Amino acid sequence: MAVSIEWYLFLSAAIFSIGLFGILTQRNALMFLMSVELLLNAANINLVAFSLYWGNLTGQLFALIVIALAAAEVAIGIGIILTVNRNFDNIDVTEAATMRW
Amino acid sequence: MSSLGTLPDWAATAPALILLGTAFVVLLVDMVAPDEQNSVMLSGVSVTGALLALGTTIWYLLSGTGQPGAGDLDANGAIELFGGSLVVDGLSLFFAAIITSVVLMVVLASYEYLKDLPNQSEYYSLVLLAATGMVMVTFANSFVTALISIELVSLPSYALVASLKTNKGSAEAGLKYFLIGALSSAIFIYGISLIYVTTGSLQFDAVTAVFENGGVGELSGLLGLGVLMIIGGVGFKIAAVPFHFWAPDAYEGAPAPISAFISSASKAAGFVLAFRIFVDVFSYSEVTDAIDWVIAFQILAIVTMTVANFAALKQTKVKRILAYSSVAHAGYVLIALAALTGGADGAFVLGSGLAHLMVYGFMNTGAFLFIALTEYWDIGRQIEDFYGLGRQAPVACGAMTIFLFSLAGLPLGGGFLSKFYLLWVSIEGEVALLGIALVANSVVSLFYYTGIVKALWVEEPAGELEITQYPTGLYAAIVLAAIMTVLLLPGFGVVVEFAETAAGMVA
Repeated sequence: MAVSIEWYLFLSAAIFSIGLFGILTQRNALMFLMSVELLLNAANINLVAFSLYWGNLTGQLFALIVIALAAAEVAIGIGIILTVNRNFDNIDVTEAATMRW
Repeated sequence: MSSLGTLPDWAATAPALILLGTAFVVLLVDMVAPDEQNSVMLSGVSVTGALLALGTTIWYLLSGTGQPGAGDLDANGAIELFGGSLVVDGLSLFFAAIITSVVLMVVLASYEYLKDLPNQSEYYSLVLLAATGMVMVTFANSFVTALISIELVSLPSYALVASLKTNKGSAEAGLKYFLIGALSSAIFIYGISLIYVTTGSLQFDAVTAVFENGGVGELSGLLGLGVLMIIGGVGFKIAAVPFHFWAPDAYEGAPAPISAFISSASKAAGFVLAFRIFVDVFSYSEVTDAIDWVIAFQILAIVTMTVANFAALKQTKVKRILAYSSVAHAGYVLIALAALTGGADGAFVLGSGLAHLMVYGFMNTGAFLFIALTEYWDIGRQIEDFYGLGRQAPVACGAMTIFLFSLAGLPLGGGFLSKFYLLWVSIEGEVALLGIALVANSVVSLFYYTGIVKALWVEEPAGELEITQYPTGLYAAIVLAAIMTVLLLPGFGVVVEFAETAAGMVA
């Protein structure tokens, strides 16, 4: 194998951290969604890389399922963000905060 | 395989299939007759479907489907489907009974609640699809099916919470629920990917086999991280404290029947997943050496109970008090996982958690449906708005009193006995600290529960309060929940027996 397996883990952990950083700092709901996509794709890298390492297809199939789930989640998410935009004229996640404690 | 008689094995998943089929029939009815006035038809179909699913589940439970036969007690009897990806056993059927009962009460109560609202068929079909997902969670025997069914619960729930589209609170609640839900399901998926990295398989049996022979070697650090992330994903579904931030907002902003649905059924689905994953798969020393999740759950349980009960004390809106009470109850049930220290019999420990979830399913759903009734009357959300309601609607307020006292753990409903069992479990499991926390928090919770009861019966209303409508469906659901809550006090022995048999299959 040209690239040893641990590098895939480092790559996936790096992408996961970038996504997490995005979630903690972004205020725009759409940017938040994109950060969640990064987290999911970090998991996909793990799954696909280790599918080759273990020599079974479970990981690849699961990665396909995760991609489909991510698409469904984005569809629902954009619908909700649209509703929020109609009610608050804004998609800043810190604006929609009428309920506290 | 086991006692399905002449039925094929796949018929064991009938509770899920019936709910799924009903969801499609609801959409079909709407497609054939797309006017807004056919709400009787839509709720009739949904109630029938929920009743059928509940009936099938109870029939399976009583006839011993997927459970150890009376003749040979050693045989597990669980029915495995799709190469072991799904499993139907006592545990799944016990939880399916809780979930289908809650669905029945929720769709029954939704008829009047939705009276003048648009998109009713979508509402009913999403409730039924989420319920399908919850029942599927109880069948899940691999991380793949667990994830798909958990998402089948989550995605319709996000849409349902935001379903009052012109209501600011509902939209905000939907956004918060969705953002935190998306984050925690991403973390859950990353945790699953780390399990795959360390073990090379995703099916529970296969992962267990890896721990039994050979283990994961030097990868145990990654395994521990994966387990921690799965605790996070499950913690979100059950709304345990560091992952609970969505819960009060989502429950407050959502339509009240949906709050009832998510806080009772969705929490039960989260717990069945936790029980199966942690007791069945992660109970090996291989995992507990990497990360001692029993300690993690002990901390979670104590923090959840304490934070939620003290936060509830500060609330002035009744729905939000109930939301925090629902978070607190996640803490009580977590005792069932936290007391698995080996000191007590595993089936007894888990069984008490199961029994508490069963009682909680009725009393908590009933309490939120009472809120649905007050939203239907449009009398306001603050506790002052409830003053003197007892004289106007004695039946509903009497039922609410039963729910609240049972939630607090007074011997007016099954909540007393199930909390007593949890206390017993914490003593047997030699984690007396958990028991002390349980009792102390129940005392704290009595303050805010009696506050609501006092508002209903003792206080004088500030202004004119005249209630003229007594909606049949909502009343039926509330009275049903109240009867079940009371009946579970004398009938608790039966529930515990079923619960311990069910728990014995994984513990």
